[in-house]
Amino acid sequence: MSLSHTRRIFLQRGLTLVSAAVTVPTFIDSTVWAMADPLDTKRTQQDSGKDGKILVVVQLSGGNDGLNTVVPYADDEYQRLRPAIGKKEAEILKLNNYIGLNNQLAPMKELYDNGLVSVIQGVGYPNPNRSHFRSMDIWHSGIPEKEMTTNGWLGRYFDNTCQGTDPHAGIAIGDSSPLAMKGDRITPLSFERPENYRYNGKDAERYQQLNGGVGVSPTQNGMNDSRGQDAHATKSKIITPGSQLEFLTRTAMDAQVSSDRITNIVNTYQTAADYPRNQYGNGLKTIAAMIRGNLPTRVYYVSLGGFDTHANQAGRHDNLMRDFSQGVGAFWKDMKEQKNDQRVLMMCFSEFGRRVQQNASQGTDHGAAAPMFLVGPAIQKKAGIIGQHPSLTKLDQGDLMFNIDFRNVYATVLQDWMDTPSKPILGQQFKTMPIIRG
Amino acid sequence: MAKLHPQLEPFTASSDQPFDRVRAAHLLNRAAFGGSEEEIARVLALGPGRSIDWLLDFPDGASDLISATDQPDFSKIEGYPRSFADRRKMFEGKTAEERMLLQQQMNQANQQALRALGSWWVNRMASGPYPLHEKLTLFWHGHFTTSARDERSAWLMWNQNETWRAHAAGNFGKFVKAVSRDPAMLDYLNNQQNRKAKPNENYARELMELFTLGIGNYTENDIKEAARAFTGWAHDGEAFIYRKFDHDADNKTFFGITASLDGDDVVDLILRHKACAAYIASRLWRFFVNDEPDSAVIASLGEVLRESKYELRPMLRVLFTSRAFYDQKNIGAQIKSPVQLVVGTVRALGVQMPEVNRLNGVLEQMGQVPLMPPNVKGWPGGRMWINTSTMFVRYNTTLWLAGGESIATGRKLLDAGAKFRKAGPGIAVDADGASGELVDEWVARLIQRPIAEERRSVLIDAVGRKPTETTVRNMVNLILSMPEYQLC
Repeated sequence: MSLSHTRRIFLQRGLTLVSAAVTVPTFIDSTVWAMADPLDTKRTQQDSGKDGKILVVVQLSGGNDGLNTVVPYADDEYQRLRPAIGKKEAEILKLNNYIGLNNQLAPMKELYDNGLVSVIQGVGYPNPNRSHFRSMDIWHSGIPEKEMTTNGWLGRYFDNTCQGTDPHAGIAIGDSSPLAMKGDRITPLSFERPENYRYNGKDAERYQQLNGGVGVSPTQNGMNDSRGQDAHATKSKIITPGSQLEFLTRTAMDAQVSSDRITNIVNTYQTAADYPRNQYGNGLKTIAAMIRGNLPTRVYYVSLGGFDTHANQAGRHDNLMRDFSQGVGAFWKDMKEQKNDQRVLMMCFSEFGRRVQQNASQGTDHGAAAPMFLVGPAIQKKAGIIGQHPSLTKLDQGDLMFNIDFRNVYATVLQDWMDTPSKPILGQQFKTMPIIRG
Repeated sequence: MAKLHPQLEPFTASSDQPFDRVRAAHLLNRAAFGGSEEEIARVLALGPGRSIDWLLDFPDGASDLISATDQPDFSKIEGYPRSFADRRKMFEGKTAEERMLLQQQMNQANQQALRALGSWWVNRMASGPYPLHEKLTLFWHGHFTTSARDERSAWLMWNQNETWRAHAAGNFGKFVKAVSRDPAMLDYLNNQQNRKAKPNENYARELMELFTLGIGNYTENDIKEAARAFTGWAHDGEAFIYRKFDHDADNKTFFGITASLDGDDVVDLILRHKACAAYIASRLWRFFVNDEPDSAVIASLGEVLRESKYELRPMLRVLFTSRAFYDQKNIGAQIKSPVQLVVGTVRALGVQMPEVNRLNGVLEQMGQVPLMPPNVKGWPGGRMWINTSTMFVRYNTTLWLAGGESIATGRKLLDAGAKFRKAGPGIAVDADGASGELVDEWVARLIQRPIAEERRSVLIDAVGRKPTETTVRNMVNLILSMPEYQLC
């Protein structure tokens, strides 16, 4: 679908953009003009433009078994409690005398050896919840005490720091928009794949005429709203047929401009990196493409599912580790290649770890504390391993007890990477950790 | 009896405000999921008053009162108990490990059962005999929220759905008392754990904040005392039970009354609160009429509810026959909910409802899966349905339903069975100059309101001077892809 029609309208109406009678997309500033000359660096970029910092969140869904990810191979308890599914010392990739990475995490180990990874041990929260939905909501909202939340920690970040309602502040790859990214004002863009983020109808030309091109301004079709309000005045919501039509049209136009841009960026992206051939791998590749394409986006989100390994865990978990790591490796290869690596920080987490002792089905049940990974050149030299490994003997109902509250990690990312105060977002001041370079 | 607000007085047709096809369709879009040609004609013939009487004429009871055979079918789900007694038998005599494995299997089967339940309900919305009953059931489901997330039992969710049906247009006081005994609700808002020794305030709080009064009309102390009144109200996995020993029978002070109050007493006192009726009126108004209710109108509508001793039908009748309801500014001013969009499109085109997994997939992307409101506040609706992602999903979904295009990349979808009459109702394909009439017919059928002339021209251009099945199909797909179609 070509840009030509949409661009033509905007370029024609250029000088009348501020006029009350015209319906225009909301983020015309950052995208349409940028499209006019993508290499025009004289154009003032928003904070989050070419030099802005980016956070990529990788969610491992289902409860990743932390103990078989960052393995306390030297601990007798580990071997004793996991006779069938425990990782043997000989196979793992050692980080020190006590822990090592799952043998499938070779790309991650390589990044670690280059000082690009921080392994944060024993992350969790008080009164761990072992329900997938509830625990994931807790990680997403960042507020364990609140039973019902309508927004997430990154959503609140967007609300606090981004002007307007530009949905490009955050992009989530997946079939629904994660709570973590939902703000009260801003909802991130989300799609499963870029090909789905577009209109599927065949008659593109007429579709665009009917969604912004032709006859929608209130004076033209006689549906003036009662106060003759400025079309842009979405602040005072006067619900009338006319104002609703404008709102929908504006959104459709935004979506079209956005879709064209993203489709273009993704279709022209070339990479030699070998991403896993699944939704997760494609998601990371798409994110790499969008970073290359200079979208103003600050936060990207992608997930890898299947971690709920209640039975016959060994093979499945290893495969997941391989996919996870392959994706991470490929992504950072691309970031380096693009010379964008300095701008990016990646954060990996799961909604809980798993029980120390294997169960009767060669698997593990829902647990609590687990490790997180932060990845990127921003990792400080001495931050390779953060925190103590949880005790394998002092357990909470058979589960690892946390040493680091996950909100300390969020606070660190918010303050030291995204340069924003964390207290307004998390509700309290959580201590940051020395992980990110100053 | 208090005088009705002028905006609530019955709409009377006049030459510049006729009771025409547009208004008849409007009633069926709001009080139902869109009307067929026959239904629109019927409403036109009956007029506003008798139409709503017709729509409100349904039994206040469970779904099997209406159709003994049209019931959710869990029998085909492997390993899923057919009844609560079945379930007990399945677990009898098993070791702890066996029970855990069995529970896991049951959780999976339960997910299937929930989908079967959701599918049954959506199909009833599309083709059940009492559309306003279904629409009210949907409203109450979003009002007295309970979500099926977290492996909530499909049996209990079905049971709850029947509670909505039994009370949807009945007595609001009885309704709230029934809700307070509903097992799924007792679970969702933790009243199951509310006991004298350790009270849990969750239900009491949401009851007042979200279900009956709104913030600011009670104190924290009222919540504490109300929670005490509901202690011991629990369920045994199947039905409500009253756990006498968990109930705090001591005196409580609630809204100024001190006595050994129980849950029913609390509900009675809530209904006497001056904010209650207006709060309910306001919620119904937002769902059925307009996102921005006028407080004087709402106060008056609340009075109607109160004066009828909280019987919902009289208030609903006033709402659906009012001048405000039929005002030009409310016609075509509501953004369709995802469910309305899907069900309405299926009805308007006469196509098949998609299979439930695909259906839930698109409904989730659009933000509304029945049985799973995102949280206790329900679905805020209105412009919240719309963002750049959902915009495409909404357009692509209607195309998909129409059998026109595939919603996902290159994947062949099940044939939605769209049957377009070759050239629209009553128009011959090759008749010259018929393009305009063709377009008008389809706009009347799908959008049900006039559209701007320039936009009509685009559609006429699409159908061409010699319409063919292909060009007609294209024109219809374009109508479905207009912002006007997202509104009702």
